[in-house]
Amino acid sequence: TKWAATLPRIPATSLALHNFDVNYGLQFGDLWPSVRVAMLCEQKYGALINNFSDVPGLLSELRFKGARDFVQSGRSLGEGTGGAGRLPGEGLTPATGSTEEESMLPEMSPNIRCFVFPKGDIARFKPARPDSCGTLSYYLLDAASLLPVLALDVREGHTVLDLCAAPGGKTLALLQTHAISQLTVNDVSESRMNRVRRTLQSYLPREVWSGNRVAMTTIDGQLWGEMARSTFDRVLVDVPCTTDRHSVMEEENNIFKKMRTKERQKLPALQTQLLVAGMEATRPGGVVLYSTCTLSQLQNEMVVEQAMHVAQDERGVTVEVEDLGPLERHFESTFHFAPRQRLGLLVIPHLTANFGPTYLCKLRRVR
Amino acid sequence: SNPMQHHSVHPQQSSGWSLSEDPLPSLLHLGFTEGQARQLLYEQCKGHHGHKVTMHLCGVSTLISLGMRPSNILKILQKCPDLCRVKGVQMQQRVDNLRKLGLVEGSLQRVISYYPKLLTLTPKKVNVVCRFLQEKCLFTTQQVTEILRNFPATMVEDFEQLEYKFQYAYFRMGLRQAEMLQSGLFRVSLVDLHYRHSFLERRGQYQTPDKKGQTRIVNPRPKDVIGGSEYAFLSQVAKATQEEFRVFQKLILREQEEEEQQEEELSGDEEVEESGDG
Ligand SMILES: C[S@@+](CC[C@H](N)C(=O)[O-])C[C@H]1O[C@@H](n2cnc3c(N)ncnc32)[C@H](O)[C@@H]1O
Repeated sequence: TKWAATLPRIPATSLALHNFDVNYGLQFGDLWPSVRVAMLCEQKYGALINNFSDVPGLLSELRFKGARDFVQSGRSLGEGTGGAGRLPGEGLTPATGSTEEESMLPEMSPNIRCFVFPKGDIARFKPARPDSCGTLSYYLLDAASLLPVLALDVREGHTVLDLCAAPGGKTLALLQTHAISQLTVNDVSESRMNRVRRTLQSYLPREVWSGNRVAMTTIDGQLWGEMARSTFDRVLVDVPCTTDRHSVMEEENNIFKKMRTKERQKLPALQTQLLVAGMEATRPGGVVLYSTCTLSQLQNEMVVEQAMHVAQDERGVTVEVEDLGPLERHFESTFHFAPRQRLGLLVIPHLTANFGPTYLCKLRRVR
Repeated sequence: SNPMQHHSVHPQQSSGWSLSEDPLPSLLHLGFTEGQARQLLYEQCKGHHGHKVTMHLCGVSTLISLGMRPSNILKILQKCPDLCRVKGVQMQQRVDNLRKLGLVEGSLQRVISYYPKLLTLTPKKVNVVCRFLQEKCLFTTQQVTEILRNFPATMVEDFEQLEYKFQYAYFRMGLRQAEMLQSGLFRVSLVDLHYRHSFLERRGQYQTPDKKGQTRIVNPRPKDVIGGSEYAFLSQVAKATQEEFRVFQKLILREQEEEEQQEEELSGDEEVEESGDG
């Protein structure tokens, strides 16, 4: 081990940063420094309200502290609630424009509420308190990670597959919709699935997640296409990725460690296979949503494109990309979106709204 | 409104004041007009006892002997009333000391006019700072004189802050002594320096040079990073918005506070352990 001592040990976080400087410097140009500094500073959280918990006065307490529900506020325009003036051009449009505006609203799941502090405010949420039954009142997560769930647009009676679910933030959000008739929660990792179980236990009354409404599986996601072809109304494919923010901040479990190089290089292929499986498991007419927490085009748009080809050529599955423009416009006062992507939507970290990165692309299976 | 009348209560109140020691004639003798002399005696140095007023006259005469004009001296005392308390002998020692540190005629007068507070400092205090700059920070004698001449406030800066600031500029930013002088480092506080540098660093716009003094990117000039206005810094160097920089400052401040808190907690733990051992 003589040589080991002489080899300079570069921290994985530095390797990640260097990799990003090269790749994202090219990808984002002048925008990169602003994204970079945000990723290297404390991220913002959102408090996903747990509809199954009852802490009296919780919402007014959050509002009193300056937080607001970014999902529901401004949803019904013209009500004059907190959302007034949020859409550009609103108020300039004459009264006749209101129906037009409503039709512009993105299609997304109701009943999901998430509080955030406004742009530029660095206040934090306290850890959630339990209600009288011991159920926690909210779940802290990157608010941008709700966008994939919202865009999935779960409706009453839907069957849903959450293909890569651990640690379970999006699963919990999905269950807040109260609309799902059957939810399959899957992750390849046993130990990480145990985390999902623990999370669900502390947030949901037993009857919601036990029994046959929620099924927990630990199967390789790539197999779900053949296993359950054309089955689900909605499939969420929230794939493993380079987790950019984690990679520049934490040494532990860092995918930029030298010994994980192979695993990292194989990510796009794995992501593609997972998405293809997700497409196949979706019933025709249903929606599959692909999401990551990386800025990398190689893991975002290119995976979508590749998966569309593979699905078409090898599985006879056709999907169409859905426009997320309305969703973007609806949330542009909360998040910073990257300039138009070829496909999908990308939330980029920004000091004044330090959420993301979150990439999402909504696909509808047509055949 | 007549200052004479207004302050005429003072002579009775103060103890050691007698007409025979009236400093007014001496001031006139030194070249002050009567109006200036009265202003000096009854406004600038009011509240000091009579006998001290006599002594500070020697201090004033030291300034006169430097060739400074009465109107200028008046302005100086207005700027720095504490100077009234400096005795003649002390004043002379302080001036001599500054000369010894390399301030030549012209610069000496200029720095006193610009920063009179320098003369409220004992030679010992000034020498300690200068020696620190020379011995610990390895500035040359000439550079120390330059600091004294151009950034006299350095002499009153909190010593620990000064040391941190130097170390920060030297080790974190990779600046050489000459660059520190040119950049205006001694004009800014450690906090502001830290904000600007770490902002650029996290944006990927500034790198600490390696042992050979090399960086992968071209760093902006230290002068533009440190010395310029915030507007110039944001618009020309960082190319960021003021809003971003404000939020950044808030976040950095909190980061630091929490780091310090953690350190305290850690050292607190050690103490507990130690007392447990013993
Ligand atoms: C980005 S995380 C998912 C986060 C989660 N959706 C949430 O919101 O909390 C990706 C997950 O994919 C899982 N995973 C990795 N390879 C997989 C595979 N082949 N099949 C299914 N899951 C996989 C990992 O264990 C990891 O938990």
